Amino acid sequence: MWFKLALTLFWRELRRGELTIIFAAIALAVLTVFSLSSVTERIRMNIEQKSADFIAADRRLVSNHALNDDYIIEAERLGLNTARQMFFDSMLFANDELVLGSIKAVSNGYPLRGVVKLKDDFAQAEYEVRDVPKSGEVWLSEGMFYSLGLAVGDQVEIGVGMFRASKILVSEPDAPFFSLAGNKRVLLNYTDIEATQAVQPGSRVFYRMLFSGDEALLTDYYGWLKPQLRENQRWQGIKDRQSPLGENLARSESFLLLAGLFGIMLAAVAMAVSAKRYCERQYDPVAMMKTLGGSRATIRNIFLLHLSMVTAFSVSMGIVIGYGLQAVATDYLASFMDTQLPAAGFKPWFLAITIGVVCALMFSLKPLLDLFDIPPLRVLRRNLGDKLAVSRVHMALSVTTIFALMWFFSGELKTTLFLFGGTAILMLVLFGVSRLLFSAGRKLGLSPGSSWSLAIATLQKRANANAVQLISFALAIKLMLFLFVLKNDLISDWQMQVPADAPNAFLININESEVSDIQDFFTQNQITHTEFFPIFRGRANALNGEKFARSASKQEGEEQDEEATRGAGRELNLTWMTQLPDGNEVVDGTWFDADSTELEVSVSRGMAQGIGIEVGDTLTFLVNERSFDAKVTSLRSVDWGSLKPNFVMIFNPPVAGKFPVTYFSAAQFGEGDEKTVSTLLRQHPTVSMIDIKSRLEQAQSMIAQVSLAISFVLAIVLTSGALVLISQVQASLAERMQEIVILRTLGARGRLIKLATLYEFLLLGALAGFVAALVSDVTLLIIQRELFEVDGKLHPYIWALGPASGALFVAAIGYFMVASTMRQNTQGLLRKLA
Amino acid sequence: MSVLSQLNVIQVKGLNKTVSTFEGDLDILSDINFTVKSGESVAIVGTSGSGKSTLLSLLAGLDTGSAGEVFLDGAALHKLDEEERARLRAEKVGFVFQSFMLVQSLTALENVMLPAELAGDSGAKQQASELLEKVGLSHRVSHYPSQLSGGEQQRVAIARAFIGSPKILFADEPSANLDSKNGHLIEKLLFDLNKQNGTTLILVTHDEALARQCDRIIHIEGGQLEKIRDGEGATVHVV
Repeated sequence: MWFKLALTLFWRELRRGELTIIFAAIALAVLTVFSLSSVTERIRMNIEQKSADFIAADRRLVSNHALNDDYIIEAERLGLNTARQMFFDSMLFANDELVLGSIKAVSNGYPLRGVVKLKDDFAQAEYEVRDVPKSGEVWLSEGMFYSLGLAVGDQVEIGVGMFRASKILVSEPDAPFFSLAGNKRVLLNYTDIEATQAVQPGSRVFYRMLFSGDEALLTDYYGWLKPQLRENQRWQGIKDRQSPLGENLARSESFLLLAGLFGIMLAAVAMAVSAKRYCERQYDPVAMMKTLGGSRATIRNIFLLHLSMVTAFSVSMGIVIGYGLQAVATDYLASFMDTQLPAAGFKPWFLAITIGVVCALMFSLKPLLDLFDIPPLRVLRRNLGDKLAVSRVHMALSVTTIFALMWFFSGELKTTLFLFGGTAILMLVLFGVSRLLFSAGRKLGLSPGSSWSLAIATLQKRANANAVQLISFALAIKLMLFLFVLKNDLISDWQMQVPADAPNAFLININESEVSDIQDFFTQNQITHTEFFPIFRGRANALNGEKFARSASKQEGEEQDEEATRGAGRELNLTWMTQLPDGNEVVDGTWFDADSTELEVSVSRGMAQGIGIEVGDTLTFLVNERSFDAKVTSLRSVDWGSLKPNFVMIFNPPVAGKFPVTYFSAAQFGEGDEKTVSTLLRQHPTVSMIDIKSRLEQAQSMIAQVSLAISFVLAIVLTSGALVLISQVQASLAERMQEIVILRTLGARGRLIKLATLYEFLLLGALAGFVAALVSDVTLLIIQRELFEVDGKLHPYIWALGPASGALFVAAIGYFMVASTMRQNTQGLLRKLA
Repeated sequence: MSVLSQLNVIQVKGLNKTVSTFEGDLDILSDINFTVKSGESVAIVGTSGSGKSTLLSLLAGLDTGSAGEVFLDGAALHKLDEEERARLRAEKVGFVFQSFMLVQSLTALENVMLPAELAGDSGAKQQASELLEKVGLSHRVSHYPSQLSGGEQQRVAIARAFIGSPKILFADEPSANLDSKNGHLIEKLLFDLNKQNGTTLILVTHDEALARQCDRIIHIEGGQLEKIRDGEGATVHVV
């Protein structure tokens, strides 16, 4: 019997709009989680797929010693795809020309991810293959053909083997991002290594094994492999690799994670507020039902059924809307990016439904228990059961639930703790500050009878309740501001890393005599370029007179990690500069004094930390068998993620003229400049060109993709924030209703009441916005440093944006709600209160 | 059950209600004793704060006394828990309140049916319609409380009070929120239906004229039963 009554009550409550906010809050939590997790999951999978292209595999095993064959056998047994690579340098000989080439021998199957780009002839268009050279053939980079005076199809000697240079190698997916070693690249079939006889005991050779396949299989395989790995063998995925993409990927994931957490936090607050309000509005009907003989069980059944129906309804709605949203968003993204996004799987469904149900249960539980406890005596004593303060149990339950949900969603305890703890401390501080502000406001004297004085009197009278409201307003505004600013910072940061006019090719190995010719060539062909930087090769081999143990030259295949301690004693690209290069910052000591005649050197912080170099130390360098000392005058932070050439060691100008140098420059070639490039390389066969155009385009397109995803996420979080504000204003208006009715009954004009409410909410919104801006900026600084590992900065514009948007938004909602109340006659309002 | 207790539908013996305040215990009611016979109408009168509403809440089992005994149609209210008291109310008691206490999301008809539905009686629709007709609201059955005037809302509340043919009806200032015309209409309706159904009526009011329409009047002052008079004004019992 109660079932029919419960259904009737439910439909009526639904139609009367009593359940709208609670319904919207759960639906929003669900759709936020669903759309966020599916969009981010799909984008993440796509980015990971693309990123995997950069290592030509999902994972790779790297070593400078031969790798055990069992590793491949086991991987294949598990069902993984595999390929092998070996890197070594060898001389190539043809037409009486001898050139040192970087040989990459690859086994069948390579590349496991991504594509190799080839050309059949110099004038022909490039095309993509997923293949390796046939045995007896090699693919050479264009510069190599010029250097050796080869035509496509000619024979070339590598070591003692003879090979046919069958294709022009344009790019391989896993080519080094930027290497000053040049572009004398050779792709060789793995089975032909022996034919070259270039690899002898003691040769410097680097090995890689590539793996791709199902993520679970890779994890299983790593579980098997890990105990056997030796110190010189490293297991890498795309995220382990130091590249702008890897870093951007990690940052965007952090952002999306944060945004998702904020979205959940906001929807949870909206849910907690609206659930409490809904239950409070049921106090009278419940007291009446109890008076009329309704048992506790009946009442419990009725409202639990309501909760289940609201939950089922809103979770389904959330999923439906979320599904639609993510479909639209990913379709848009996919067409924008000209790519196909992989399907997201069951994870978003699971996350969204669980979070929706847990949200609904946990936030309604305490208000519902309070509701079941409403005494029937309330029918005679109307305020019985009213609780002015938020129940501690409700608070504790809500807070614990929010924490658990955040942890569940993110799977990261540290980030969750960090965000959650920060927000909790902030709320406490805010409560204290707002109490102080409101009590200080008492001293403000304004003429009685004006809307302003009524607004301020109301604010003061309700100082405690206002403090709570201020916190939730501030929290919502803070989270919105925070994400807004973070989004702008991240995106502008990325765009700065890869500006649209970034040079897309590096020219290296330019002889001093060629500099002016090339400069003229650039001017004639209207090609923008940077200045020509001097380069010489050398190694630092002693610190304060003490020799470093190891001495080796760097080669492809060896790790590109410039920050690592392995920089000691290694052959380095050295230069001199007068100005500190872009993207570098002096972290210790001072940049070169222009008047100094002594030899000075500036060292990258990573290298300095690795070897223990300090400002004031003396480094001994060995260049062309000549040894010299230089004093360390500064340490620099270097942005290795940028697409610019960076240097571990930079000397001051007095080093000039001591050694023979070559030069390098960076230029921007346009679409149709292929012929110009060919001409340039033909005229200067010793000059090498590193084309990073496709890399740049890939990076730019990925940044555009991630930026769009972030904007989409921001829109969802802003909607959640707006909902919190609406539910808060609605709840606070319900409390204000009595005052409004009394004022109205006493003859206050609607305009006075509307203006007083408008001003009150303006003040409240502005204050909340101000506190939110203050707090956002500080947390932003901390989060950017701790989580994103970038240098944070203050954002003066949000100090205006916070209060202005807060005041505008809160006041607008408050005003419209009061205005709609004012349209009812006083008798109607009184009856509503009865 | 004795014949006497069947006749005495309400029995109050040494009833006390004490509440704790910051300044110590406060006696709201002390040592109240009286009986009400089946079919009788009794008014409880007194000044504001005299304890008359508290007495009503104890008689109806909405609250429990601190000491003493209350029997409602033979059931010892002071020995029942809240659930048992609710069951008893569902079977035997009807209510009319000053503030109508209608459920806003239910129509007039559904509000009248509510007690029957809570008691699990599915055939209440017919009876509810008849009752609404009796109170002159047959044309308003599908209206919501907010669409009804105060007088109409109270008429719905009266119809609700009589559904399930309760043995005892409690009315707390039923006309206090209405203008005098509507107030009188409501009072008349209440007494007429009460007579037709042979219900025992306990009416809390501060309106002497209304009280005089009852068989007996119980005067409460300062939490104590001051005197009991009959409807004509003769004092039948002085404490």
